[in-house]
Amino acid sequence: MTRITINGKEVEADPKKPLITACHEHAAQVPMYCYHPGLTPVGSCRICQVELQQGEIPPRIVVACRTPVAEGMVVNTETPQAHDARRQCLEFLLKNHPLDCPICDKAGECDLQDYSFSEGQAEGRSVEPRRKLEKRKNLGDVIVLDQERCILCSRCVRFFEDVTKKPQLTVSGLGSRSVISTFMDRPLTGNYQGNVADICPVGALTLSGFRFQARVWNLDKHLSTCGECSRGCSITVEVLRRKEVKRLRPHFNEEVNKWWMCDHGRFSYARLNAEDRLQGATLHQDGVPHPVDRETGIAAVVDMLRVHSGAYILISPWMTVEEGEQALAFCHALASPPRLLAPPTNDLKDDLLHTGEAAPNRRGLEGQGFQTQSRDDALSALAAAECAVLIGERITEILGVEALAELSNSIRLIIFDTHALQVSATNVCIGIPNAAERTGTWINVDGHAGRIAAAKPAPPGVASLTRSLEEIRAALAPVAGEVGS
Amino acid sequence: MTRESHPTYLLDRTRLHDSHTLDVHRKNDGYRALETILKEGHSPEQVIDLIKNSGLRGRGGAGFPTGLKWSFMPDANKDRRARYLVVNADESEPGTCKDRVLMEEDPHGLIEGILIGCYAMRIRAAYIYVRGEYRFAYDRVAAAIEEARRANLLGKNILGSTFSCEIWMHKGAGAYICGEETGLMESLEGKRGHPRPKPPFPAGFGLWGQPTTVNNVETLFNVPFILDRGAEWYQSMGTENSPGNILIAISGHVERPGVFEVPLGISAREVLEDCAGGVWKGRRLKAWIPGGSSTGFLPASEIGLAMDHESLKNARSMLGTGAMIILDETACTVRSMEILSRFYEHESCGQCSQCREGTQWLTQILHRIENGQGRMEDLDLLSSLASGMAPGKTICALADAAAIPTHSLVRHFRDELEEHVRRGCCPVPSSPGPAAAPPRSPSVEVKA
Repeated sequence: MTRITINGKEVEADPKKPLITACHEHAAQVPMYCYHPGLTPVGSCRICQVELQQGEIPPRIVVACRTPVAEGMVVNTETPQAHDARRQCLEFLLKNHPLDCPICDKAGECDLQDYSFSEGQAEGRSVEPRRKLEKRKNLGDVIVLDQERCILCSRCVRFFEDVTKKPQLTVSGLGSRSVISTFMDRPLTGNYQGNVADICPVGALTLSGFRFQARVWNLDKHLSTCGECSRGCSITVEVLRRKEVKRLRPHFNEEVNKWWMCDHGRFSYARLNAEDRLQGATLHQDGVPHPVDRETGIAAVVDMLRVHSGAYILISPWMTVEEGEQALAFCHALASPPRLLAPPTNDLKDDLLHTGEAAPNRRGLEGQGFQTQSRDDALSALAAAECAVLIGERITEILGVEALAELSNSIRLIIFDTHALQVSATNVCIGIPNAAERTGTWINVDGHAGRIAAAKPAPPGVASLTRSLEEIRAALAPVAGEVGS
Repeated sequence: MTRESHPTYLLDRTRLHDSHTLDVHRKNDGYRALETILKEGHSPEQVIDLIKNSGLRGRGGAGFPTGLKWSFMPDANKDRRARYLVVNADESEPGTCKDRVLMEEDPHGLIEGILIGCYAMRIRAAYIYVRGEYRFAYDRVAAAIEEARRANLLGKNILGSTFSCEIWMHKGAGAYICGEETGLMESLEGKRGHPRPKPPFPAGFGLWGQPTTVNNVETLFNVPFILDRGAEWYQSMGTENSPGNILIAISGHVERPGVFEVPLGISAREVLEDCAGGVWKGRRLKAWIPGGSSTGFLPASEIGLAMDHESLKNARSMLGTGAMIILDETACTVRSMEILSRFYEHESCGQCSQCREGTQWLTQILHRIENGQGRMEDLDLLSSLASGMAPGKTICALADAAAIPTHSLVRHFRDELEEHVRRGCCPVPSSPGPAAAPPRSPSVEVKA
């Protein structure tokens, strides 16, 4: 650690990190556009200018993102000179910026807007026409580029160079004719395109799926964990009017995903908003579902399990550790071995984040004592079973509706899932909350715990899985006691 | 003092027939300095000390002491990385054409300078980055390199010594910014010519991340003469702080434009009158640029200034590349500045916000004023914007290069600017009125 002085306060700073990091760590407000802690600093936007005094040299203005920390440095971020330098730089950045904030998706979380608000001049001095460029240029299916809003910070260029290691974007053209572009206008590819919309400090790169969907200040942001693979990236689930998940965004997590997440996870929110959710429960007769309230459904399950003790129980790798605990007790109560359905795999595995194992909590549930069973084994066990309980989000989906449809009518099939399963073998379906409607913990592939948050209410008539299982276990308890005695 | 009255050395050989050939070059003391060093076994440190003592300052524009720059290279015994000398022959500062004369007429002089520089810094490979438009100069230097190689003046074990050195050439592709040393190195590496932030400096992290020294053609051209004739001889010319002779390229409204060799410290009036034959057609001098477009306009009243680093610095200008541009009474300084500003807008690499946006903004304002749409407040806006761009606020000095002439225009020619605004048109009769090309603000076509 190196001792430096920031705004008159002597502090310790990490000499391996640029000066701007030390400034931020010690509450000195220094804006940044081109600098991003996850990318190679280039020092091109010049907005992070601060006043530096080193030894005998008189104070001078430097960019904090390209200045290495050195012993005895005296840094001042608030002198009139530093303010002026930043203000002038801001004026240049705004010279050609379209100021179409009212229709910009970035408005409300835009670094340029925020800094213009706190430091900008009330009146612009430019009477020149602003640069006219392409307002909506699709860079592939994920990202839309607005060249007029772009301040050419090159974060997006460096993201593909530094993070995915597959450069795709570049600055083409010279000087005031510079624009961000792909080689020969080829579309962007890969599973990490969405990140450039997050790191874009202005509204130049936006997600095509989020364009004109919501004003960001109307979104409630809930810190959560992505459930699309066993990496379990920290994310925020952003919900509009307590109803619809509009966006998933990565949240910085040093140990897991840093600042990034994959597009597969990012765009999985459609599932969280699915319309045809199972409310309460359904009782099935001759393949026809009859909606009932949850209590009636639970009573039917209890009746069935009284008759069929030792039912085959299989849980989903989407279940949280807390739900797993309850399921484990449930298995014990029914004297059934605790079994976990193996997560599906996909070909998205890469060196960056995606593990290729498309479920979040296998490790956590295995740690609790669940035996992982492959889909094939599970289906053969189901074919032989007299009564089976399938528990957890997406369990019927992983097993496959078609495969389940082939089960004979003689099996008593009890399902806890977000959707009703309409196959002839089904007897009872109980609705459960999805990943955006419950809280809990998932353990990722490396053993890191990730909390998931209830970002929106579950559909009416749906209670937590823990509660439903507990109620059933309580109802069965005297019976279980009789069996045991 | 006239052209004949002061001692010359830089251009002496170029007046000979076939001066570019090895034969003529060697018959006229060429490669003598290199031979002496190698035969007598001068140590590299001795060579650097001699250059330091001579007081030679870089001729590329900044005037940094060459010997000091050379001594910044890390100790070759401790730092085992490859090391390079890069010769900046990307002469593109508007008005400048001195290196071209040297490369075309006396390429061996450059090669000898490079070899001595490499010897002094224990470098085994040098690159010459030649401005793309200088095809003839490129061919002449390339041919000279071949000749030198055949004569064992280049390559392995030069003149039977243990010193080996190779020279490679590269043609630029027309970007002004590639004349900036770090932009040049990026370009040489095959990337876009985007200047690098400093630190790290080239001596520690240069071409391909290796220790590198970048020198101008004329700087290296001076080196063999200093080695041959001594530091004392060198200091007998020029001024105390700016010794030696310098090549001045004078252009614009003069009778006899061209490249002239004069001692540093000579008055600009002497250069104009004795070398260039005075202002064209006997007209009155209105403004002059002392050292290439980036050094700004000076009024006629300052034509008595000495052409050396200190005097011009005191006049808030620079010696730069020593390229004088003369504007007579028929020229409009506003229009001249607009043309310069458009040049900088066109050549800005676009990395730094102030330079990318500022050069465009300045051009737009100047265009408005020249075309009768100026406002009085634009004058202060010009200065204010130039202050926001420079000095030292950007990665490289291109923003400074645009800001210095802007400041100088407002400082020295405020009357003319005001008159433009008052009259609502350009007051200079022969000025072609609306600029030939409109400012190019819409840069990319908007697709429907």
